[in-house]
Parts: sequence; C-alpha cells; structure tokens
Amino acid sequence: MTATIQSAVLQGVIGQAVAVEVHASKGLPTFTIVGLPDASCREARDRVRAAVQSSKFDWPDGRVTVNLAPGGVRKEGAGLDLAIAVAVLVAKGVLSKEQTGEFAFVAELGLDGTLRRVPGTLSLVEAVEASRVVVAEDAYAEARLGDDREVLCATNLRELVRCLRGEAPFDLAPPSPPAAKAEVTEDLQDVRGQPLGRRALEIAASGGHHLLMVGPPGAGKTMLARRLPGLLPQLDNEAARVVTRIYSAGDFGVPTSSLITRPPFRAPHHSTTMVALVGGGSRALRPGEISAAHGGVLFLDELGEFAPVVLDALRQPLEEGVIRVSRAVGAVTFPAEFVLVGSMNPCPCGNAGGPGQCRCTDAARMRYARRLSGPLLDRFDMRLFVRRPSADELFRGEPGEQSAAVRDRVLAARERAYRRGVRYNSMLPSATLEREAPLAPEAARMAERAVASGQLSARGLQRVRCVGLTICDLDGREPPLQGADLALALQLRNNPVSLDHSFAGSHVA
Amino acid sequence: MWPDEGPAGGPPGAGETATAEPGTLGDEVYLAALASLAGMGPARLERLLGRWQPAEAWNVLNSGALTEVRAVARVSEQLCQRWIGDARRADPAEVRRRHDHAGVTVARRGAAGYPARLAGDPEPPAVLFSQGTPELLEHPTVSIVGTRRCTRYGADVAFDLARAAAAHGVAVISGLAIGIDAAAHAGALAADGVPPVGVVGSGLDRIYPRDNAVLWQMVAQRGLLLTEAPLGAAPERWRFPARNRVMAALSDVCVVVESHTDGGALGTATEAAQRGRTVAAVPGPIRSPASAGTNRLIAEGGGVLCDVEDLLVLLDISRTTLAPRDAAGAAGGEAPITDAVAVGILEAFDWMPATLEMLASRTGVGLGELAWHLENLSASGLLARRGLWYERRAEAPVAGGRSG
Repeated sequence: MTATIQSAVLQGVIGQAVAVEVHASKGLPTFTIVGLPDASCREARDRVRAAVQSSKFDWPDGRVTVNLAPGGVRKEGAGLDLAIAVAVLVAKGVLSKEQTGEFAFVAELGLDGTLRRVPGTLSLVEAVEASRVVVAEDAYAEARLGDDREVLCATNLRELVRCLRGEAPFDLAPPSPPAAKAEVTEDLQDVRGQPLGRRALEIAASGGHHLLMVGPPGAGKTMLARRLPGLLPQLDNEAARVVTRIYSAGDFGVPTSSLITRPPFRAPHHSTTMVALVGGGSRALRPGEISAAHGGVLFLDELGEFAPVVLDALRQPLEEGVIRVSRAVGAVTFPAEFVLVGSMNPCPCGNAGGPGQCRCTDAARMRYARRLSGPLLDRFDMRLFVRRPSADELFRGEPGEQSAAVRDRVLAARERAYRRGVRYNSMLPSATLEREAPLAPEAARMAERAVASGQLSARGLQRVRCVGLTICDLDGREPPLQGADLALALQLRNNPVSLDHSFAGSHVA
Repeated sequence: MWPDEGPAGGPPGAGETATAEPGTLGDEVYLAALASLAGMGPARLERLLGRWQPAEAWNVLNSGALTEVRAVARVSEQLCQRWIGDARRADPAEVRRRHDHAGVTVARRGAAGYPARLAGDPEPPAVLFSQGTPELLEHPTVSIVGTRRCTRYGADVAFDLARAAAAHGVAVISGLAIGIDAAAHAGALAADGVPPVGVVGSGLDRIYPRDNAVLWQMVAQRGLLLTEAPLGAAPERWRFPARNRVMAALSDVCVVVESHTDGGALGTATEAAQRGRTVAAVPGPIRSPASAGTNRLIAEGGGVLCDVEDLLVLLDISRTTLAPRDAAGAAGGEAPITDAVAVGILEAFDWMPATLEMLASRTGVGLGELAWHLENLSASGLLARRGLWYERRAEAPVAGGRSG
C-alpha cells in the first residue's frame, strides 16, 4: 500500500515543496526514511511512531519505507513529521487518498500527537503544492499571512484525522495569539541638541547611506541609532513579505497577526560570531543578523570590539545587498539590504575629541583606529562625531522635531530617488551620478579644491556627491547640487575616525 | 668629518682598513665606538672617561678587565660582559667608516668642532654627533619647546614665533618631536632667516618620529642636527631627558609654548633655569590642559612671552626692520570679508576653537550653509581645521611654509 502527501522544507528562507511517499509492505517490522533527511529529520521516525500510537491508531505491521522527494534536496527540520504521519495513516488505510488529496501538512509532532509550529511556516505554506494547508494551531496566524492558500489548523493528530474524515469541522477561528505589544518607537523629539546627528540620521534614512558614529561613552550614539528605524517609511508589501519570511525562518521573533511592516532594527552584540552575523551554520543554513536587518537598520555598537574577520564579512553584502552562504550541505542566498550604523569610541580612553582632553598615546590611538579596515571604513558615506551634550543643551534645549515630520521629508526624498529608478540614492551607480547629480559652479570649484588638496579621492568624491544629492532631495530642490549640499556632505564624510593630535604635516610635508 | 685627523688618516677609501692602526684613529672614533655600546648613557661614559682616555678605555674593554670596568662605570656584571663582548667584535675603523659614509661629524669635548656654548656646561656631552652647519650656534639662540599633544593655538604660536625669530637672526632650537617642536622647526624653515637647529634623542640615521621625516631632512640640509647618540642608537626613553639638557644648555632663552602639567618640555625649562638661562612661557587659556603646565610655569616666576618682541627683549636684541614678507603676512589676515554671514561666523568663534554644531547653535545659520562658509573660510586661510574643530588663524598661512 502506498500513499503520497505534500509538504515542504526550508532552503535558507525559501520553501521547497516535498512529496512524502510512504510504502507499507509485509516483512520484518522496520521503519526507514530515505531521500536525504538530516539528523533532525531522521528523528521523525521515533516521533511519528509515538504520535500515531498515542493517538490510538495502529502502526502498520510490516516494513514502512518513507521517501522524501525530490531525492537530491537535503531535508532538515521536523516540519515533515505531520506529513509522514498522515501518509502512514493513508498507507494503513485509516484515511483515504480522497480525504487527503488536496491537503498539504506542515507541522512537527509531539509524542502525544500534538501539532507544533516549525520555523519558517510562512515560507513553507507558500511553497507546498496543494490548495489547502494544515498547520499547528500556534502557527495559524502566521500561515495565513502567505498567499491565498486555504489554511487550516488542528491541535493534535487524532482531531485532525476526525476533521479529514469529515466527522468534525475544522476549527476555523482558533484563539488568536495575544496581540503584539504596542509598538514603542523612540521618537526623535526626545533628542536634545545634536543638530548634526539628527541631520545625519535623516540623510541616512532617505539615501540609505551607511553611518559611522564616533564619540565618547554616554554621548548618545546608541540613542541616536535607535531612532533611525522610526524615520524609515513603512515597508511596502513585497518587502514586508520578505522580512516576515526571514523572521519566520530564522526564528527572530514569530510574526503574529500581520506581516512585519516596520523596518527592523537589529543590534547584535560585539561578541557575535561571523556565522551568526552573516548566516550559515553547519547543518541548517539559517539567516544571520544582517538578513534580519533586511529593509531596516543594522546597528553595530562598539564596532572596534568586533572581530576583524566578522566585520570584513560585511563587505560583500554591503556591496550587493545579498549574502551568499555556501557550505558542504548546499548554498543559499539570503537577502541582506540594510543601512549600517556603526558606533565606536574615538580612542581607548574614549575622551578624544576636545583638544588636549585625551590621555592616550598617539600609538594607542592609531592602533585603535586601525581595527576598522580601510575598505570597510570606505563603505561609511557619513562619519559623525557625537559630542556629549552640554548641561545647557540637556536641560534647556528645545525639544527637537518629531520623527513623523522627518519621516514625511524622507518619504518625499525617496520618491525622488524612485523616479531615478532606484529605491534610494546610495544605490545609484556612480556612472549615473554625472547625469543625476550635476554640480553648480561653486560646488564644482569646492569639489576640485577638495580633490586637489588630497582631502578626497575620486571614489570619495562620488560618494560625497551621492550624499549631496540626498541632501538636495531632502530640501525639495532639483539638482544641480549647491555649494551648501556638497559642503555638508564633505563635512560628514571627512570627519576623522581617529582624532590624531599630531601637528606635523600640516605645515610641512 | 674628523677634526683631529692626523697625517696618517688618509681620505676614506678601500685601503683604509689596512692602514688603520689603533694609534692613528683619533679619540673621536673611540668615543663613538664607546657610545655605541648598549646602555652607554652620558653618565657612564663620563665615569669611564674620568679614569681613562677614550682609546685606553676601549683597550681596557678589549682586554676583558671585567672587575675594573665594573667598578669604574658602576654597571651590572651582565652589562659589563656584554660591553666586553661587543667591544671585541666591533672594529673602530668600521665605526669611523660608517660615520664618514653618513656624513656625520663627530666632535669630542674640548676639540675644535665642539660647540663653545657647551664647553662651560656642568654636564657637557663627552661627544656630539652632528649634521649640517655648526656655525648656526654663533647666532643668539632660543629653544622653542612644548607638548606633542598640542592644540592648533599652540602650534600656530610656535610656528609664528619661530618664523619671526629666525627672520630676526635668532637660531631656533627644538627637539624635532611632533607637535610644538615640529611647528617651531617648520616656522623657522619658512622664514627667510637663520635655519633651525634640531637636537634629537636617537642616532642621526634613526629618524624618529617617522612622521617628521621630511622636516628632519630639511633641518639636516639647511640647518643643524645634533645628538649625543651614535649612529644606530634607537630612540630609547632615557635619551630624551638627556637630549633636553643639551637643548637647554645650547639656548640663550628657553620658551615653552604649550605643556601639560607633567610635560617633558617643563624638564627642558628646569634644565635651562638651572643653567641660569632665561625661561619664558606662552600663556594659554586656563581651561586648556595643554596650557596648564605653561600657565603654572608663569605663576612660578617664568617670564611671559606673547610675541617676538618679548623674545627680542629677552635676548637683548634691538628690533630691526621686519622682513617685508612678514608684514605682508600680517596684513593678509586683516583682508576684509564682505559676506555678512561669514563675518558673523568668524565673530561667533570668539577666538576659541569651535565645532560645526557649536557654531550652528551660536549663529543660527543652517548646517549646509555653515559648512559651505567654513569650507571657504578654511580655503582662504582664515580658519584652520583640526579634527572636528575649527579655529581662527592669527594670520593667513605663508605660502613658503607649505610644501605639499
């Protein structure tokens, strides 16, 4: 007796349809699973048998062989449990092929037959080759976020069989999961002072320019960074779907009743390993933090404390917007398009910035600054020095503009970028900058001066131009870029990372 | 190169090694060889020379008289053994050839090439290595010293003071460190006057700090480089206080431009005061840590030095006519600015360093426009940028002072 049941497995963050075939025949009682299952998938044998038996169904007497097709795809995870159990029940004759024909099943089984949610439910439901999908009750809300497939749920195997046989109706309104906590987004109006910092955040949000913040401890770097997601416009439907899939597959926080529409904010600790940051893993290839930040902000606090190899692994995704992870078990591509915000102290003692305040030696300061490789540093279009606000600014400063007001400007600026054919300005290829960001005569003179004096490389000039274009967009002006646009962009790019106090070289050499 | 060269010493050439016998090499060579030994500071060298002539001392070391050398030099047995081993391996003729090759003059105390200013000093170096023009020390001298972690204010003052002093025929002495020292050397080189004197702590082939390589070479070519350290000597920590005493002894007046309370420049000032030289300091803002040491020096009785006039009075030089380019430079700073916003920005500085954000809140000018004006004012030399900070410059920079 054979049976075929539809299900799916995860490949990175994308689902792959899998047909579960079961063959029950006479012979010594055995239960084998073939078709490239990994360890967690092979353990389904014990779970499925226990679940079937504790649900008061008979286990087939002879040989039971499970094949997972297509055979060339490695299957990992417990999401095939329910499909295997149902296929066994069909092979045993408990259920008929007609009763299960249009269904697919995506759930893990407990030993007592309970259905459980599996990571990546959203992607799996979207991938199955069937019109109706059964998932665990706690995955119901998430599964319904997918396309227009009919989603059904059950609490345990016994109940599911009764529903499939038509002896009971599917419960179509399972208790909805507790509503997501009211979103507490931090507002920009809480920031006192820091005019340049606010401006830099606005530019980063509009143009997708990466931002490096340097400043002493307690100056407000983290506070500023946390307010960046609030300035980003809501994700559009397509982006929201991608982000939700990533969150579901990576178990970064299960989506509840709706797609994730707020741009994410991820702030991994500096002890994070390379795999946790960019994705991978020895068995299952999971998305990393940079994919979790897709469409939003990746904030790396204390950038200098991250292992250099971890930081350098960011270079390719920063350039391409995706990360390709290749391992022995296969290769997957994760989306990874984010605004990178880094923060670090200016020197080991943290006090550099005011003339003569730092007690570090020049050598120590240089060593500290060297932890950031040149190529990575080059990716930051803006470098911001965040000073500690004075008591006056803290207690008597005017509350700043609200995030909502800034967000409107950001949205308008992004529309201008959209008309140029990109989502935001930092994606403009440098070849098109000549056309899209022409310079007014006085701005051209300033650019020439900056290049001639060695302040700026040719590539640096392109980036400055790109940031200048975003500033121009935010002001609601059409290019050409005015001197003020370029001057501010130059100011933001040329801020030093290491504040060296050596004087030699400015007069001679 | 070798002032006491006897008739036996021919020009440096291929046959020299063969002809070089112990008696014909001259004391300078043995002094250089002795000074090249590991851990041989001025005091130890002095003790050895108190007992033996240089060539004698070298022979004693070569003969391996461990206890005798130890007793005289007061060093550990280990070090003494190392000296003996090194001395046996070293060839004085080779030492001589190295110095010849590098163009380094070796002057022994009391010999002709030795600076007269050091002759009467309580702790005169036994031997001095130099490159450049020794006659520079016949001018009135001022040592302009200060912290490596200087502010733009200090660097500007040092630069302008050194330039004006050099233009008035004063030889500027400094230590070729980064910060104030470098600014002083650069200022003196920028003037159409007396080139500067650099007193360094390492061997003349060991440029330190590397950042000042260009400045170092310019001083060696146009001015004078002096050191107590033989060729190859690393810039070890203990060499710098010793270097400071040489600087103090060479100068008529010692000016500290900026110093933290624990700065090495204050050591130079102390050495100078002990030698009866005039010590003066440039006052600075009371809140600037880089001026804390100099302000205290003034409080403790050091002279106040605000411009080159003060220096000329201390040196007892009557003010001659200013060099014309100097006058032009001063006028350049007063060039009228027509833009009202730019004037407002300059006034908002109040002659203290300020950042873009500080200026934005003082003037109310938008960030973009402000950045634009700062950029232009810097380009025209009215402002100087140092990291995040902008400062007003006293004068427009002199074109000759910048070489790249």
